Amino acid sequence: MKKMINPKALGFIVPNVVAIFIIWLNKYLDVQSEGSLIFSEFVIIPLFMGIISIWFWRKLNLKSSALVGYSIVNGGIALFLSYIFLGEGVLCLIIVSPLIFAFIVTGAFIGKMMFRKKNQTLNVSVLSLLFIVFVADSVSEHHYDNMVSDKITINATPEEIWKNVVAFEKIKQPDNYWLFKIGMPSPMQTTVTAYKNGAGRKCIFSNGYIFDEKIVAFDINKNLTFDIVNQPLDPEIMGHIDITRGQFLLKDNGNGTTTLIGNSWYKLHVFPVWYYDLWAESITRNVHLRVMDHIKVLSEK
Amino acid sequence: MFAFVVKRLSFLKSIPLAALAFDSGIKIWTLLTKSERLDWIDEIEEEVLTWEHVNIQLHKFGGTQFNFGEKEIGHIHSNGILDILFNKEVKKRLLNEGKVKDHHVFKKSGWISFYLQSKDDITYANYLLKEAYLNLKNNA
Repeated sequence: MKKMINPKALGFIVPNVVAIFIIWLNKYLDVQSEGSLIFSEFVIIPLFMGIISIWFWRKLNLKSSALVGYSIVNGGIALFLSYIFLGEGVLCLIIVSPLIFAFIVTGAFIGKMMFRKKNQTLNVSVLSLLFIVFVADSVSEHHYDNMVSDKITINATPEEIWKNVVAFEKIKQPDNYWLFKIGMPSPMQTTVTAYKNGAGRKCIFSNGYIFDEKIVAFDINKNLTFDIVNQPLDPEIMGHIDITRGQFLLKDNGNGTTTLIGNSWYKLHVFPVWYYDLWAESITRNVHLRVMDHIKVLSEK
Repeated sequence: MFAFVVKRLSFLKSIPLAALAFDSGIKIWTLLTKSERLDWIDEIEEEVLTWEHVNIQLHKFGGTQFNFGEKEIGHIHSNGILDILFNKEVKKRLLNEGKVKDHHVFKKSGWISFYLQSKDDITYANYLLKEAYLNLKNNA
């Protein structure tokens, strides 16, 4: 038993136990009213994990390659524990993994410098700074709304396109976007209860999930705007992103072609924005383009 | 990729820890594609730390920075790019030797970049760092 609980093993066990405890405590204290997952959880905790692991490994004289390798293993354990205890989806974990790996490795090398210098004042300062940033970030309000807009030109008139914008049959084209290819649900079909303002609309995804929508603007051949009133309880999106509104605008170019603009509004619940919004924009853009390309094919028949 | 990020995504430098995290990403990539390069950097680090009054720290834009006291001797990014500041005369001489290049960003400055491509390059990297170290030491 004593042989198993050696500094090398503790460098894997302790950081992960500490990380799970901090995340649990944060959830238990309910510091984020909307259940947002914040910067501190994706940046400060991995950094801290890296520093803790190095404290246990500091006398092992590890080469940099071993240090990076061990840190990747630590990140892998953290992701696995998130899957088991936090109920995160596999795709979410794929998306978050670069951030976790990069900051655990960063923490490990910060720790390497800290413990090499044997400067207790510096070490206490670094850890205090991380703690202050963590607490300040945890108790801060986090809100982020964004809109993604895409446009394509269709060789058809607005009248020919409109009916395909409001509702359309199943998309049969294969998915091109890599996240769709590895299992992220892609839009498949849209149905509508009536062709008028206030009608219900359903956007059906490839795994059967349905976004319930309500049409709030029905300006024939010009503007279809709908609010998302209910989104599926999928661990991949639940508590991470709320799609709030969608819109299609049609602009007659006067030469037999039409510019179709797709807009989506969403609210992010995962931070830092500089990282997650890159993914949110990319996914939203590819949802748009899959639907809009399908509308183009249908309208140009 | 490195050149693209340095030139086009330089705003990342203003985000705390982003440059360090980017360099960590390079470390992971290097581990997966050419792990021996990390060993070469370790060897250089070991050698330079045997010199008097030398210490190391993380470079603000990622990598390991070598200092003589408080002054920077040079730094090495995790993809094996060693950057050192010389005066223009020394830089010209080194460029003529043909092994170093203008700095990958500040081409008109005294900075030079040396790319660690093989284990044999460790000797030349140490030679460059020693030259910069002695220059700082003699002027201290």
